[in-house]
Amino acid sequence: MDFDAIVIGAGHAGIEASLALARLDFSTLLITQSLDAIGRLSCNPAVGGLSKGNIVREVDALGGEMARLIDESMIQFRILNRSRGPAVQAPRAQADKNLYARLAKQTLELQKNLHLFQDTVVDILTDKSGTVCEGVVTERGRRFTSRTVVMTTGTFMEGKIFIGDFSQSSGRLGEPAAVGLGTALRNRGYTVGRLKTGTPARVRKSSLDFSKMEEQGGDATMQAFSFFKETSDRPHIPCHITYTNEKTHKVIRDNFHLSPLFSGEIVGTGPRYCPSIEDKVKRFPDRERHQIFVEPEGLDTEEMYLNGISSSLPELVQEEFLRTLPGLEDVEIMRPGYAVEYDYLDPTQLLPSLESKRHRGLFLAGQTNGTSGYEEAATQGLMAGINAARKLQGKDPLVLSRAEAYTGVLIDDLVTLGTQEPYRMFTSRAEYRLSLRHDDADIRLFPYCEETGLATERMKELFHAKKEGIDEIKELLRQKRVSGNWTEDSELLKPHVGKTAYMTLKDPAVTMDGLTEKIPELEQFSLDWRHHAELDVKYEGYVARQERQIARFQKMESLLIPEDFDYDSMDGISIESKEKLKMIQPRSVGQASRISGVRSSDIAVLTVLLNRPQGQKGSLNAEQTR
Amino acid sequence: MNHDNYDPDDRIAALATPWAESAIAVIRTSGEGSIGAVDALFSGDLLSCESKKMCYGMIRNPESGDALDEILAVPFRAPGSYTGQESVELYCHGSLPGIQKILTLLFNKGFRQASPGEFTFRAFINGKMDLTRAEAVQEIISSKSGKAQSMALNRLSGTVEKRINQFKKTATVMAASFAIQLDYPDDEVEAPEPPLAELADMKTGLKQLIDSYQVGKIYQEGVVIALAGRTNAGKSSLFNLFLKEDRSIVSDIHGTTRDYLESWISLSGIPVRLYDTAGLRHSDDPIEEEGIRRTRELMENAQVILYVLDGTVELSDEERALISDESRQELLVWNKADISSRDIPHGVIPVSAVTGQGFSELEEAVKKRIFKDSAGAAGDAVIDSLRQKELLERALSGVEKVEEAIHNGLPVDILAMDLYDVLQALGEITGEVSSSDIMDTMFSSFCVGK
Repeated sequence: MDFDAIVIGAGHAGIEASLALARLDFSTLLITQSLDAIGRLSCNPAVGGLSKGNIVREVDALGGEMARLIDESMIQFRILNRSRGPAVQAPRAQADKNLYARLAKQTLELQKNLHLFQDTVVDILTDKSGTVCEGVVTERGRRFTSRTVVMTTGTFMEGKIFIGDFSQSSGRLGEPAAVGLGTALRNRGYTVGRLKTGTPARVRKSSLDFSKMEEQGGDATMQAFSFFKETSDRPHIPCHITYTNEKTHKVIRDNFHLSPLFSGEIVGTGPRYCPSIEDKVKRFPDRERHQIFVEPEGLDTEEMYLNGISSSLPELVQEEFLRTLPGLEDVEIMRPGYAVEYDYLDPTQLLPSLESKRHRGLFLAGQTNGTSGYEEAATQGLMAGINAARKLQGKDPLVLSRAEAYTGVLIDDLVTLGTQEPYRMFTSRAEYRLSLRHDDADIRLFPYCEETGLATERMKELFHAKKEGIDEIKELLRQKRVSGNWTEDSELLKPHVGKTAYMTLKDPAVTMDGLTEKIPELEQFSLDWRHHAELDVKYEGYVARQERQIARFQKMESLLIPEDFDYDSMDGISIESKEKLKMIQPRSVGQASRISGVRSSDIAVLTVLLNRPQGQKGSLNAEQTR
Repeated sequence: MNHDNYDPDDRIAALATPWAESAIAVIRTSGEGSIGAVDALFSGDLLSCESKKMCYGMIRNPESGDALDEILAVPFRAPGSYTGQESVELYCHGSLPGIQKILTLLFNKGFRQASPGEFTFRAFINGKMDLTRAEAVQEIISSKSGKAQSMALNRLSGTVEKRINQFKKTATVMAASFAIQLDYPDDEVEAPEPPLAELADMKTGLKQLIDSYQVGKIYQEGVVIALAGRTNAGKSSLFNLFLKEDRSIVSDIHGTTRDYLESWISLSGIPVRLYDTAGLRHSDDPIEEEGIRRTRELMENAQVILYVLDGTVELSDEERALISDESRQELLVWNKADISSRDIPHGVIPVSAVTGQGFSELEEAVKKRIFKDSAGAAGDAVIDSLRQKELLERALSGVEKVEEAIHNGLPVDILAMDLYDVLQALGEITGEVSSSDIMDTMFSSFCVGK
């Protein structure tokens, strides 16, 4: 074998997968179509957001790179949804796109055990049986062998872009698609579907009049996404907000017939949550205006990103409607918006480890699996990399549960339910979101990082210091009691005299900052830790309630189904259920119960069969054995 | 989550008829090899007996050769049985010691005592019935009168399910209004108005359905009615009148100490256990005292007490006090109204146990007393399983928590969590969210043998 592992693609999934493998001491080859396009933020120049910010921090806690890259390249930072409760808050940062990509490439180049090579993969290699993946074949006819392969091809597989009646085989505007691989995988029996996504125009900063827009600044403090870094000291650049109006909508409506979306040119399914402007105007004709965010793409570029107005209408139509927006009257388009349609592999063909059921040793991650978003791609890449490494080590895969990480929710949804539109993470997809706060991702997941071997000594030190620090803060709060003289300048504390500071903090009106004024010993701990402890205390009761829900959920998850389980021998369940169970090969009864179309009575039968003593597999029906 | 005692490979046996003296008792077995195993204890030839045909013979202890009973046995070959498995039903004489001997013999010969609901559990896992049906079967089995049975059937047709699905729809809409705040930041999407009106509606609806459990329970479990009054007031005649009016008498057995007569009757479909407390306050005899104690206990447990007054004789002081007591619990019956020449006091129901005059008015009064505030709810969705009631209460408590959280200004992540509880609870009723816990709870509430 030439390598332990080959990673195809150097987007956000490929970066994480290749780094994880190389860091775990496996010789890894990263093959990309263009060494100049590593770590591109192909769409919006931002990382994080609701639930996505949580994912970035999960990636960090598990030993991934994304948080560190954005920490070094952010140009604005905000905690979103401060008004809506800590479980639904999340960090989001504007990124300097070019810097982000440059840092990503640099990180890969500096990584020991990691080899970078520019070529296009057109097929995989398999063993004689055709069930084990043993390497890849490239466009230029090179054959590389390896013990594992991680495929992260993003939107490039048979990618095709659309602008009005113009269409071209491309992965991103100006970059050729990866042609051949999708067909090869179809021929190898994979179910391959088409998805669609879109991106708005990039416009020239100096052609905009910001005085006609609302300015939206970031938070004063740039917090780091990474748990192993305190703050980010980076320039702050504001975004701006403008709105579409009736004129904009009229231009768009008048040109519906020119949209490849409505003409039937595009067959792939687009995301409902992130529609193009023509979609929005068509589906919500009563809306008077749509909000558009004008976001800088970087410090050293004039390009600005128009968030909320992606379009595949003809370029001149795009220019026409953009010019109806306040502040964009003289807008100069540098790159037009476009739609891109691409192949994705039905992710139900994967095990929860992200390994293919068809070809052992082949792992798939990122947009190839039908997801959308940098963060979703990154965390899959990391998990695929970790699990490829664990396979090489002969260890069981790391599968995160829905109750411990958004990553767990993401992968479970993908491999259990599949997806019919680009899958984006949403906070509401997570049943146990109170336990999935962004600020405690390390508490939840760093133990796995220590287990896999991706944790460095420094990370361990910082983590344990934080954990102990938070415990000390809580202990201090338990010891201190609210005394009468605390209330002289604080009405809020009056009802709490005699109570411990810990109990007092549960009062929604009392804050940790307020208590810190009365308990100076708290100042020795970082603000971050104090706020972490504050949320722990305030939400303790709710979290305890949620934990009871989780305990019920875990019971079903812990009922594992052996890989060689014989579904054909299950009597008394519907043929549809049987087929679905055989296809998905659920890891646990819990996962089986989430497969759509599998009836609860079928799950009951499965449970009973699994609970029977060893050696009694098979029929429940007496007739068969008569 | 312990399904060990639900292992469908075991052979199980249980008495399918009530544990009581009767003419005939039915013992049911299920599990592969049941026919062979019973045949070994049976003088007839079960192995060659056709499925679902009766076969006559003696049950014998094969070791001692003792004949235990003369019975009829019916073999069922899979999948043509209630459970879908091979089964045998034994029709034996209904003496308690006799039944016990046969069961003991079966348990010694490879059968295990069936767990509650285990026969139905097997029917369920063998695809003989689905979850909602499985639950309703228990009601049909244990229902003591026609109305209760039709209520259980009504559930099969899904009136309750329809109602619950409405709640679920409302809750889902609400959940979406929370989700939008969870999934989109505050600078992009404004928070929708809190759904206070919907919550209030849902609370009312849930409460109605929960209250209907009382009605369901009455039809399900029946009520106790006791007849009280002085000797010769006509209690026994009234007792007999109730029996005569009801053509569906189940049994008429004497109380063990002869303190009272009891009988199951059906009062417009409500199963009623009617007691005639003849013998109340007779003498100082210690045995009678014990009788009086039992009678008292009985009166305390009765939902309705019919106090019978003799319309032809002078009222006692006690009776006069009772008539003037506005807060009395007893229904007063003015018996012998056909021959009584006295003025009937206000609030007393005139009846003639001999002619049957006034009986239907009495019946109405009794029904009104049974249902008190809870509406008759005819044709409306009525729940009659404790599990459903508890889940609806969980949903209601979730709705109340959401309301409270909105009033207290708690963040939307908490609201969403409470609402998730509501959805889960509702989902568990209609069988959409299944967990082993539901299965355990549900099947353990099943009566043994069905």
